[in-house]
Amino acid sequence: MQKFKVTFLPDNLTIITEKDKTILSAAISAGIYINSTCGGDGICGKCKVVVSKGDVISQPNGIITASERKNNVYLACLASIQGDLEVVIPDSSRLNFDKLTPEELAERLSGLYSKAEDIRPQKAKFEDKVFKHSPFATKLYLELPEPTLSDSISDLERLYRALRKFEEFPVIQTGLFNIRQLGRLLRDYEWKVTVTLGKRNNTVEIVLIEPGDTSQKNFGLCFDIGTTTISGQLVNLNSKKILGTKAAYNQQAAFGSDVITRILHAAKTEGLKQLHNAVSDTMNQIIKELILEHNVDLNNVNCIVCSGNTTMIHLLLNMDPAHIRKEPYVATANFLPVIRAAEAEININSRGLLSCVPGVSSYVGGDTTAGVLSSGIYQKDVPCILIDIGTNGEIVFGNKDFLVACAASAGPAFEGSGVTSGMRASSGAIQKVSINKGDFSVKYSTIADKKPRGICGSGYIDLLSEMLEAGIIDKSGKIKVGGSRIRQSDSGREFVVCFKEEAGGNRDIVINESDIENLKRSKGAIYSAASILVKHLGLDFSVIHKFYIAGGFGTYLDVDKAIKIGLLPDLERSKFVFIGNSSLAGAREILLSAQAMDMAEKLVSKITYFELSVDPGYMEEYSQALFFPHTDLTKFPTVKFNG
Amino acid sequence: METQLVLEKWPGAVSTVSIGAKKEEGGTRSCSIKIGGESALPLLFKEGSIPNKPKIAFEVWDIAPCDWPEELLAAYGEEINDPLAWADKCVNKYKAELLCVKMQGAHPDFGNKGTGESAKFISRLLSRVNVPLVIIGSDDDTKDNLIMPAVSEAAKKERCIIGCAVQDNYKTLAASALADGHSLIAQSPIDINIAKQLNILISDMGLAFERIVMDPTIGALGYGLEYAYSIMERARLAALSGDKTLACAFICFIGQEAWKTKEAKSSIEQGIVWEAVTASSLIQAGADLLVMRHPKAIEKVNNFIEILYSTPRL
Repeated sequence: MQKFKVTFLPDNLTIITEKDKTILSAAISAGIYINSTCGGDGICGKCKVVVSKGDVISQPNGIITASERKNNVYLACLASIQGDLEVVIPDSSRLNFDKLTPEELAERLSGLYSKAEDIRPQKAKFEDKVFKHSPFATKLYLELPEPTLSDSISDLERLYRALRKFEEFPVIQTGLFNIRQLGRLLRDYEWKVTVTLGKRNNTVEIVLIEPGDTSQKNFGLCFDIGTTTISGQLVNLNSKKILGTKAAYNQQAAFGSDVITRILHAAKTEGLKQLHNAVSDTMNQIIKELILEHNVDLNNVNCIVCSGNTTMIHLLLNMDPAHIRKEPYVATANFLPVIRAAEAEININSRGLLSCVPGVSSYVGGDTTAGVLSSGIYQKDVPCILIDIGTNGEIVFGNKDFLVACAASAGPAFEGSGVTSGMRASSGAIQKVSINKGDFSVKYSTIADKKPRGICGSGYIDLLSEMLEAGIIDKSGKIKVGGSRIRQSDSGREFVVCFKEEAGGNRDIVINESDIENLKRSKGAIYSAASILVKHLGLDFSVIHKFYIAGGFGTYLDVDKAIKIGLLPDLERSKFVFIGNSSLAGAREILLSAQAMDMAEKLVSKITYFELSVDPGYMEEYSQALFFPHTDLTKFPTVKFNG
Repeated sequence: METQLVLEKWPGAVSTVSIGAKKEEGGTRSCSIKIGGESALPLLFKEGSIPNKPKIAFEVWDIAPCDWPEELLAAYGEEINDPLAWADKCVNKYKAELLCVKMQGAHPDFGNKGTGESAKFISRLLSRVNVPLVIIGSDDDTKDNLIMPAVSEAAKKERCIIGCAVQDNYKTLAASALADGHSLIAQSPIDINIAKQLNILISDMGLAFERIVMDPTIGALGYGLEYAYSIMERARLAALSGDKTLACAFICFIGQEAWKTKEAKSSIEQGIVWEAVTASSLIQAGADLLVMRHPKAIEKVNNFIEILYSTPRL
């Protein structure tokens, strides 16, 4: 096999690679992440690179324009290496893996902790449910009586007897590893030891026996493993205090932006391993930073609870997700036993435990269970809805008597993928927009007040609503003619939100008619899924008491504008509660209380999964929602546009 | 024993569209024709008011037709080659109450007539015949956006129906209809949601729902007629139930669909029946205005309408 040298610029990183490998895969081997929304199919056009020296062969495609071809621009996923190369990777083709800044994080988590509550004062979330404090990993300091002729039970039974004085555990299990060193440990340290117990249902396991009293040093982690973002939180298990929260992009994005592309990638040689490594690397990085910043010894981090959609959990545990994609859409497992974190290659205490929040079905995962748990809708007397606005758009409807869930394949548009100037909600993303009705000039604000780099989900909601209001688009999303900001593009007309001179980038930030079409389909999918779910039970939106909006945009969401574009139903604005990352909040409750885990398991059996695709009314409902705000205007009585 | 009929009462009604302005209304037409206005399902006279019979417009072109079967052309004789004489023959010989003029000659592939020429044709047609007009473009969006404003202006105050506005191209036509006092055909691809969306978009431009006539797009007998039938039925049920955005009269382009079929092309007798059956079926679905081609088919359908509207009513 011929080998060649490929140098990536401006990184100036050189790697040796085989002939006919694509530039994309060479870049991944070199540790450089290039945007690849379509997972290397040559469709998304996000992986453009410039080959400044050397030979490549590229399959023809409709994305590279004639002038780009002249300048040696190629799609990294289609260009195969034929000789020594120099490849320039422009910033616009790179995945930005910088950690979120503290301000962004504060914004992103605002629904949970502080800021959003200023704007939306409802504190409905944790109001009436208190789980007993009984963390997933519990540390107990024991001073055992030395054995005598009259008290001659074995060391292990002695230990069990002492443990049962704290709590009546019906079943206690201990690994041989711990039993082997028990005799020496007890005698060397004067019968004073700290035992770490891992809890699950009515069984406890002795995870670790340490000399002396370390019971004050007991920490745990909870994680929300999203398709786009992974968030982790370090918690003091004894005091319930949250020490820190961090979020990073899921590095699996390099292999495709939605779960289906990733499932397909997992089927390739080494694909599953690559995906697993991407998620475990991201988590380990977050863990490392959290413990360093908060001065916690990794050996005192004893457990971790993960919440994520079914595919993400499969990939975390290195399980083949192939059957999730194929009819009848069956997962390998929805309920997973507690495992050693090390088995999933997650670095905490080497004997530490890892638990996953149980999921309902292949398309309604543990993140939804955690959301139901933390939003508390399962305790309400009156019907409520929980919507997680993300790529898979999970929706749960119900109260204390019933819960039904469905997944709306909303697509990644509101997460900034598949749209021309789209980006995730990170620094420089335009998130608030207002448009002057006279001259169409645009005012916007960006996350962390950085120079604008693109538009994130909440920015798109604002933008669409403002464009409707200003009459720039009609209710079907077509852009009108006229004005210096409107021009023809390859994807229909486009509206310039921010000229490149202002943005400081090399491209104008725009929204075109095909972007609007994508966004319209996304919002239509979510609205119609919610509508059909409620209708399926013979009810309508008017019976809904509270509308919990979770995840997705992460930061700021203008409910009024989301209603104007028909993403959310036209209900009294005070019924909407933006709860931020409900999946992470649910995982934390489980981390801190075995009761919460019991509840999560009960919830899973209580939640009925409703498959939208089998409902004959869904397509009709969906096509009606492909209009701003909706084809049936009587469903949106308060929405009026003056434009 | 007498059977008691169960009668449905509807809260809504289809809006009435007047076609053609007489002298006292500022136009030059000999009469003004009303369509629509129903407050009941087709032919269920006891359930509501059905004030207007379905009307038939003869289809004429501004050039000699290029894709009509020979025997269909023969029905109009020599005059088919002179559009004004053809129109005249429809009115004077076949007693057409309405004409539907298609500006096919403006299409880039069929003569590519300019704006001035197209507008002049309409002016001359208006002085040659005095029946109310429906005027539709050439089916080329770009070209229609050029000629239709001029064509519409040439017929200003004549209260025509102009068309056809579609979802991706409705603004120019809607603006012309608004400016020149015409009604507008809103054409949707056998899709009730798009029909409704298009009506809303047009009304957002300031043209009232009462001035919109819906073309649901139809298929001829054996070529999807039942799809059109059920879409029309659904739209009409919605209109009668009170949905104003769908409460518009229907126009159906019967001739162009029927004469495309191989059955119609294979024998003229069969073609006439094919056109007539397509028309009479869609009358039962609620068609208010039918655009047809063969004089004999039109005669049959007119007779059918007479029978439907004069038999003792249930």
